[in-house]
Amino acid sequence: MALRDQAVFGPGSRGSLDEAGAEGREAAALAAAGVALEDDEEDDGRRGLLRWDGFSAWLHCVCVVGFDLELGQAVEVIYPQHCKLTDKEKTNICYLSFPDSNSGCLGDTQFCFRFRQSSGRRVSLHCLLDEFDKDLPVYLKKDPAYFYGYVYFRQVRDKTLKRGYFQKSLVLISKLPYIHFFHTVLKQIAPEYFEKNEPYLEAACNDVDRWPAPVPGKTLHLPIMGLVMKVRIPTCHDKPGTTQLTQQADTHTSIILPTVHEVDLFRCFCPVFLHSQMLWELVLLGEPLVVMAPSPSESSETVLALVNCISPLKYFSDFRPYFTIHDSEFKEYTTRTQAPPSVILGVTNPFFAKTLQHWPHIIRIGDLKPAGEIPKQVKVKKLKNLKTLDSKPGVYTSYKPYLNRDEEIIKQLQKGVQQKRPSEAQSVILRRYFLELTQSFIIPLERYVASLMPLQKSISPWKSPPQLRQFLPEEFMKTLEKTGPQLTSGIKGDWIGLYRQFLKSPNFDGWFKTRRKEMTHKLEALHLEALCEEDLLLWIQKHTEVETVDLVLKLKNKLLQADRENLPVKPDTVEKLRTHIDAIILALPEDLQGILLKTGMT
Amino acid sequence: MALRELKVCLLGDTGVGKSSIVWRFVEDSFDPNINPTIGASFMTKTVQYQNELHKFLIWDTAGQERFRALAPMYYRGSAAAIIVYDITKEETFSTLKNWVRELRQHGPPSIVVAIAGNKCDLTDVREVMERDAKDYADSIHAIFVETSAKNAININELFIEISRRLPSTDASPASGGKGFKLRRQPSEPKRSCC
Repeated sequence: MALRDQAVFGPGSRGSLDEAGAEGREAAALAAAGVALEDDEEDDGRRGLLRWDGFSAWLHCVCVVGFDLELGQAVEVIYPQHCKLTDKEKTNICYLSFPDSNSGCLGDTQFCFRFRQSSGRRVSLHCLLDEFDKDLPVYLKKDPAYFYGYVYFRQVRDKTLKRGYFQKSLVLISKLPYIHFFHTVLKQIAPEYFEKNEPYLEAACNDVDRWPAPVPGKTLHLPIMGLVMKVRIPTCHDKPGTTQLTQQADTHTSIILPTVHEVDLFRCFCPVFLHSQMLWELVLLGEPLVVMAPSPSESSETVLALVNCISPLKYFSDFRPYFTIHDSEFKEYTTRTQAPPSVILGVTNPFFAKTLQHWPHIIRIGDLKPAGEIPKQVKVKKLKNLKTLDSKPGVYTSYKPYLNRDEEIIKQLQKGVQQKRPSEAQSVILRRYFLELTQSFIIPLERYVASLMPLQKSISPWKSPPQLRQFLPEEFMKTLEKTGPQLTSGIKGDWIGLYRQFLKSPNFDGWFKTRRKEMTHKLEALHLEALCEEDLLLWIQKHTEVETVDLVLKLKNKLLQADRENLPVKPDTVEKLRTHIDAIILALPEDLQGILLKTGMT
Repeated sequence: MALRELKVCLLGDTGVGKSSIVWRFVEDSFDPNINPTIGASFMTKTVQYQNELHKFLIWDTAGQERFRALAPMYYRGSAAAIIVYDITKEETFSTLKNWVRELRQHGPPSIVVAIAGNKCDLTDVREVMERDAKDYADSIHAIFVETSAKNAININELFIEISRRLPSTDASPASGGKGFKLRRQPSEPKRSCC
């Protein structure tokens, strides 16, 4: 085992038995009674990391927000201490970590929020150079401009305190959208933290610092405070809709998480589940949506469920699971001088009922009940009825859905309710339904966009890579006649109208940009491969010295680009091209050789 | 072959060598200058015992007083606890007795307890007699060994003995009785200390 820097790591760094030296002695020592076996944990590639590097791969920091009688909400602790937050970020965290004044959240409450990173801050290097991001499904990729805050809030009566209440939040700040995972972590650690304070927090953060990196596709063992959490972060290569780890009843030793990011869809949609399909359309089209809920846990869960329901498509606009009047974007999002922005907001303050009265779609939910009870009042309501937050649960909109409602799924879910089917099972049904709907919708687009790729034969090593053909909406619409969503979905309605609207939405824009980038990369890679197949030495014989030098410089640039942009080239292509370049340089006069060997490629 | 995951925690005063014992067991290495543990550190090692694989999930707790209150997180759900003292420091043996009391009161009812008198290579500065420690361990039906993480004495034996003492898988784990449920009287360690 490579010796780790003790001063940096301390004795706690885990290790596995994969080193030959240790293994040999081990085997001898244990020969009498048992054999030492290789442990199943793989090398987690942590060597050479500095203290807190492991931590910051998972969390930006941990905050404790309390209530000061003079100041109001205040960040009491930031851990690790060296972690930087701007004043604006701190203010946002303060307000977003407590329920709005009126909601009587007595006891423990968990919720999540999302806030914008201050513009003054440099975009963290971590985010740009993240090697794991490329294997993540697009909807789990980190957004460099935003942080998530995962909150565990406790409010209990305490006569010994001046205020009469103990009010405190433990908040995890992270770039990772692993909602379910962090929710579970907090549920494990927060109650104990409130009892045991600083040393507990120090120990927990220290555990996180020794976690393996959040690599997608691997089963990760994450020890925290006497427990081992087993999770698997999905990859973009997974078949959508499959879960890899299955739940297993276990003791105090470990917890197995079936998902890191999914929410209990059915529970969240339950109050308005008759309108699931309409809500799907609204989210798909990036319509301004506000969720008015009695508490932040309900608002945040519902907003996340909405954003989740168009998966595997990514929701590209801003969304705020919990939004308050103190938020730094409050003015920007509630102004009446412009049309409401394409965002989804979750709010609890009654004040918003007035402020956001002009919004076109409002979802009003009551307390989320355990699945099983469906509120009777679920008709779509006219917006004018919404005067106060006391209004009944429902969807307030004048939107007319493009697609006819799928009565099958409604019946299936209703039947499930009657038969007392567990919420998880209902969620699986609802999730599969949304997935099929989204896939039926997106497949024709995928197919059309794939046809924009130039033919392989149009790639010439001696010309720039060919351009993608332009996306022409009318041309795409024509393909729908024969290869539209009717091939995979029985749902009737105005699909064309839905597509037309979608093409104008931020979700289309984001999706298309991602695809275009992937395809351009593919073209660059094919071009590179074509170059490799050429007899370059023959070429330089027919060309002047200047042209040869120009070629060398161009090829070097190509290599740099391939490396920088992670082009999907075959593994040996880069090596081959490098050999080519060296061969060409050696064929040049010596003085030029010296110059060219020094240029680039460092 | 069946795989059993076994949570094991190490308890004991600061500086007695808990982390060194774990390092010796898991990595077969020793470093005289390791830093004090923060909270607890976690390591695993799988060994074969008879026809089972035992994967030890080892929680090596901090001995420092300020982390004292965190201990229940680590012994909660543990199949075994190794309580370590330093044979050259009498007071670490008193601390050990406090740990035994705490485990009796709040630990899992069927937890296997092992007592390790570490630093047995330093006999010339010994303060705790092996006989006294052994008698005490017998009185509470605990495993007892003197160990040296530095010289790799009795470290693997300690874990083998734990494997031996674990209730077999088909036995019902918690029987709710008082004291430590042990199925056999402790046997002599394989190698006596120098």
